[in-house]
Amino acid sequence: MSEFNLFDYAPIGIMFLVAMGFAVSQLLVTQLVGPRKRTATKLMPYECGKDPIGSARDRFSIKFYTVAVIFLLFDIEVLFMIPFAVAFKELLNQEKISGVMFGTIALIEILIFITTLIVGYIYVWKKGTFDWSLQSRAEARAEAKAMAKIKRENVIELKKAA
Amino acid sequence: MNTILLMDLIKPDPNIAAVLPEMIVAIAGILAMLYDSFVPKQRYVTGAISLIGLAISAIFLYSMWGDLPETSWNGMVANDNLRMSFSFVALFVSAMTILVSSVWIDREKVPVGEYHALLMFATFGMMFMASGNDLVIMFLGLETLSIATYVMAGLRKGDLKSNESAMKYFILGSFASAFLLYGMALIYGATGATNITEIAAKVASPNFPALLLVGGAMLIVGFGFKVATVPFHVWTPDVYEGAPSPVTAFMMAGPKAAAFASFVRIFVLGFPLVASVPAAVFLHESWITALTVMAILTMTLGNIAAIVQNNVKRMLAYSSIAHAGYTLVGFIGAGMAKTPEARDAAIASVAFYMLTYAVTNLGAMAIVTLLGQKNDRRTEFEDYNGIGFKSPVLAFSLSLFMLSLLGLPLTAGFMGKVLVFRPALEAGNLMLAVLVVVAVVNTAISAYYYLRLIVVMFFRERTTDWTAPKIPFAIGAALVIAIAGVFYFGIFSNGVIEKFSKSAPIQSAQVK
Repeated sequence: MSEFNLFDYAPIGIMFLVAMGFAVSQLLVTQLVGPRKRTATKLMPYECGKDPIGSARDRFSIKFYTVAVIFLLFDIEVLFMIPFAVAFKELLNQEKISGVMFGTIALIEILIFITTLIVGYIYVWKKGTFDWSLQSRAEARAEAKAMAKIKRENVIELKKAA
Repeated sequence: MNTILLMDLIKPDPNIAAVLPEMIVAIAGILAMLYDSFVPKQRYVTGAISLIGLAISAIFLYSMWGDLPETSWNGMVANDNLRMSFSFVALFVSAMTILVSSVWIDREKVPVGEYHALLMFATFGMMFMASGNDLVIMFLGLETLSIATYVMAGLRKGDLKSNESAMKYFILGSFASAFLLYGMALIYGATGATNITEIAAKVASPNFPALLLVGGAMLIVGFGFKVATVPFHVWTPDVYEGAPSPVTAFMMAGPKAAAFASFVRIFVLGFPLVASVPAAVFLHESWITALTVMAILTMTLGNIAAIVQNNVKRMLAYSSIAHAGYTLVGFIGAGMAKTPEARDAAIASVAFYMLTYAVTNLGAMAIVTLLGQKNDRRTEFEDYNGIGFKSPVLAFSLSLFMLSLLGLPLTAGFMGKVLVFRPALEAGNLMLAVLVVVAVVNTAISAYYYLRLIVVMFFRERTTDWTAPKIPFAIGAALVIAIAGVFYFGIFSNGVIEKFSKSAPIQSAQVK
């Protein structure tokens, strides 16, 4: 290991300068050169290219975050599985040659990993994360009950009238 | 293309027995989680599962004490006394927290399965922070611990104070983790190794880049945050006050001990004094001086701020900062030790101090939890007015814990303090002598606020009506264990200390 020398790190400094210079110069150039025409469309809030349908202050269900978390779970599962799948055959080969249990250990480890993930999956399932319609189903049931009640009352009234 | 050369493969070095205690705790957590998802109405079963898991883990830990290879998993997991003693502290803290929290679980209707599972995962993280002999393992343990603790701090979802506590802890904790990780990256950049043993060997080589100093400084910031030392302590009072009382009890004792385990391992074992190499001497001097200044500030500020508190939880939070300062004294003593035996004894004293602090503090927090009522409303000093003779059991035990925190002879706190101050005195260094004097003066200052609680309990009149709460079985058990521990560690501490400091061969190989 050589002596510490600040000039060895000069490329990092230059990189920072270039990065900053690039950002600043781009902003400056667009400010100075670019034409400026304000139209109604341009001044609209940007919403993924669609016309806005209302205020952003609305309340909305944030169920999507649980879905995002579960997606991450399986995303990472795949991230680990692919390198394992690619290397596994060769590891088995090496196990035959060298007698060290490369392949067996890799298999056991990936099985432990998948078991842990499955436990998480069972947990979120039992906790009702996938049951999105729980609330709307309850609402529908309440509505049906209310309608049945009105119907019954109507029938009673009709009977009375008769 | 798709071939792997044999020489590229690192020979796997699995040693299941070496990580069995950790694995058992993790499995207990997973079982608690699964049981809760299938039987959501249960209140106590997951607690029982967790306690059984902790007990089995402790038995395995005890039986493997001293008869395992020094390192396993390619040097990533150490099996020295540092690991064993701090893992034991972690298991003890976790088991006591389960007992203490039972009354709170009933009162607040917390999601009990999640709580126990998170506690188990936090314990798993703490144990890996103690056993990791590699920066990566330590960081993984730290993150497992931290993420579980962030959630636990916010378990009282409806309470704004609890939310604030969780949010502050999360943001500042992530910030500290970032410092820690960057420090680790710089150390890896400087030495080309993440293994503590290898880093220690590289420090002894005549040329090492200045990056190592920067990395070490960043580690001090990160760990300084986790163990709550001044000037990285500002989160402590707010987080400890806002979090639910049993979780506060856990955070005061558990994560602090685990962070000290990693902190001691990296600095004392990873950056040793190599007298023949000027650069290593400079590194060693730098971190010793930095920690000495931090220890003096921590003790003084913690104690002085604790005097003016009117909330018992906040007072205990500042007292916990002060205790981090006392522990640092033993830590610095370990860093200055001249022989490996003296160093191991000093490290053992740090572990023993954390154990005595955990026993005392968990006992005190058990009473704070019980008296706190719903949402921890009754935690002001005024709420303790005149309860002394109405509920003698609680008042006398709380007084005992306060005296032990103060460090009165015959209690655990006294033995802990004697042991952590001794190595610093034995180093025969002026700076450390000043440090010990400051620590003793601070102990005297701390008498004011510990005794104040006793005075309030026994000699103040209570204006409002108060009936002593019934002591539930679990809290009673926790109190009996804590009282027995305070006396046992205070009077018969020899056996424990010898067990903690029996020198392991790995460490003597490192000092050259």
